[in-house]
Amino acid sequence: MLLVGMALGLVAAFESADGGGFQIARDADEYTQIWSIGRDLVMFGAVVPILLGIALYIVPLQIGASSSAFARGGAAAFWTWALGVDLLIISYLLNGGPGGGRTDFVLLWATALAMMLGGLIWAMVVVLTTILGARTVGMTTDRVPFTTWGFFVFCLVGIFSVPITMAELLLGYLNVRYGHLPITESEALAAVMDGVSFAPSIYWLGIPLLGIGVDVIGAHTGIPVASRKPIMAAITAFGVLTFGADLVAMASLRTLEFNNALLVLGLLGAALPVLAILGLSGLSIRNGEFKARVALLGALLSGMLVLAAAAVALLGVVEPIMVGLDKIIPDAIDLNNTLVVNGTAWHESVRALMIGAAVVGIIGALHHWANKIWGRRLTEPLGMLSLLLAAGGAVLWAVGELVAGIADRPFYSALDQADFDGYSGLVNTMGFVSAVGVLALVGAAALLALNLASNVFGSKPAGSSPDDWTGSTLEWATASPPGLGNFPGPPIVTSASPLADGDLRFDGIVSESMAVASPEGTEGEDA
Amino acid sequence: MAVTTHSHDIIPAELSLAEASRPRLLVLATSLATAAMAMGFVGLLSVYISTRADVLATGERWLPDGVNIPLTQPNYIGLTVAFSVVTIWWMVSAVRNDDRVNALAATSISLLFAFAYFAQTAYLMTIMEIEIAADPRGVLLYAVIGTHMVIMLVAVGYTLLMALRAAGGDYSSRDYEGVLSAAIFWTVASGLYAVMWYVIYITK
Repeated sequence: MLLVGMALGLVAAFESADGGGFQIARDADEYTQIWSIGRDLVMFGAVVPILLGIALYIVPLQIGASSSAFARGGAAAFWTWALGVDLLIISYLLNGGPGGGRTDFVLLWATALAMMLGGLIWAMVVVLTTILGARTVGMTTDRVPFTTWGFFVFCLVGIFSVPITMAELLLGYLNVRYGHLPITESEALAAVMDGVSFAPSIYWLGIPLLGIGVDVIGAHTGIPVASRKPIMAAITAFGVLTFGADLVAMASLRTLEFNNALLVLGLLGAALPVLAILGLSGLSIRNGEFKARVALLGALLSGMLVLAAAAVALLGVVEPIMVGLDKIIPDAIDLNNTLVVNGTAWHESVRALMIGAAVVGIIGALHHWANKIWGRRLTEPLGMLSLLLAAGGAVLWAVGELVAGIADRPFYSALDQADFDGYSGLVNTMGFVSAVGVLALVGAAALLALNLASNVFGSKPAGSSPDDWTGSTLEWATASPPGLGNFPGPPIVTSASPLADGDLRFDGIVSESMAVASPEGTEGEDA
Repeated sequence: MAVTTHSHDIIPAELSLAEASRPRLLVLATSLATAAMAMGFVGLLSVYISTRADVLATGERWLPDGVNIPLTQPNYIGLTVAFSVVTIWWMVSAVRNDDRVNALAATSISLLFAFAYFAQTAYLMTIMEIEIAADPRGVLLYAVIGTHMVIMLVAVGYTLLMALRAAGGDYSSRDYEGVLSAAIFWTVASGLYAVMWYVIYITK
């Protein structure tokens, strides 16, 4: 889905890079369809589901549980999402979706997207329940690994914010169904997903990436990252800022106006927690052994791209701050010369960096845990190439969109021929730069798929790669891949780094929380 | 403790029943799912409030001419829902005390209240005289009211399922998390009616 979504994004990018009018799409509506399905498939068809897939596998191992809290619930969430993805693609193929011309299939688009989001919310509930209710003995909340904490905040923010988008989808569905939104104006439906695609709401994707990054850095430098509580607080603060933004967006109907103080605060404040996490993790790199592995580089680059996104997003607060100052000190500021990026391609540049951060972080995470999941390591050179392509591609994509945005190219890159004709040479050049960046991301996704396929379906037997990085969290205390029940017995931990501190024990004592982690493993299944 | 009434005769009657050995995962999951559901509903209401404020700001009336939302039905629906919250917790209490007769009575009365809620809401919709296809405000009204009906329908289905499982012996004084989960969902769904009652029926 990542490959398909990015490829469709590539088509849209090349179309908008071409100053001569519509070459690939037949008209503006078809362009909107290609662009919107690309955007939605990358985010909710690929990045979020992949992150939740990693969570459903790794989180139970990290907290010493024998399985996720509702294993069949997780499977049901997957199939709900998968059916939604299929219907979404079908709806577009039959001229539906935003910009579509057939009412039935525009309605199918809304239904399919709601199914996808519903499935993802369901999976988030499973992950949260696992973290809250299936931790093993001694795994108190302040001892959970950073990855688990990142997923905890990510899922908590998700279950409170994604339903708001579902509510908007419902209204979009009813408005089309009862003719209040004419089918000839169906492209307006693309705005339903704008709320989750704009900063600071889109920082939501960065929450688990930060947690994963800290764990990976600890494992690959041999020194678990210290300052646990400040890092956990920083991850939480980052999540609170995205959630606050969602609340504001809900109250202001997700308008593009950044005149709300909380939104400004979200944009201003998001960079600080990321900076703190990168700085504190950097101490491990300075004191430990730095090896240029895909996992470690992926963690670092991912964090840097999130930071870059937060920095680029700061441009969005220039206008509201200037307007605010003008109210306090009238005539002191020339508002006509204020940088206004709101409503321009600038939104796309922030999204490009966040999607890039997610792809880079996922490549790193899969290299880190591949042996744990499939019993075979991913190929490092191939991984390194995909990592560099993804990071470089994201930066190119973002730079192209940012410069075009400053040059006043509107957010929806090209809506009609007049827009094309009105573009300056710089905007067209930047469109081409963006398209090259998206092409690099497509290449990265293809290489990742190739790497996964060759390792998962390759001839190397499972369990042939040793776990030779020095992880201190519980998933490294069991076989790769783990057997039934995950652990030889319920683990008992007394510190946040049980493997590094050498204080891990397995015991047969059954207490309330350990019953879930029992080797028989059936207690934690569906009720 | 009425151990002998259980079918687990293999357990000596003199032994006290053990507590459920696992944390209440179903209660946790239901609470989280309920929070997500409530957030979606509140999101819908916020769109309603915001759109209404925009219309009022132009000096127009919110409800189209000829449309009237009476208060009698919404108030009775509110009372019905409030009573159902009492009976749903009566059901939980009965299961906790292994009182099958009371559990059956409480479940039946709760479902009866739910039926009354659906009947009264359907009647209210017929007398409001607002056409969903004729006015975008109708879409908003029906979206909010209809979503709440769906939420109540889910609450009824969930409760029915858990009540059947309790009747089959899955839930008892030893482990009653299923009925507790259903009661939590039902209570929040009823609480959402209170919010909707104020936002839609009172402020109009």
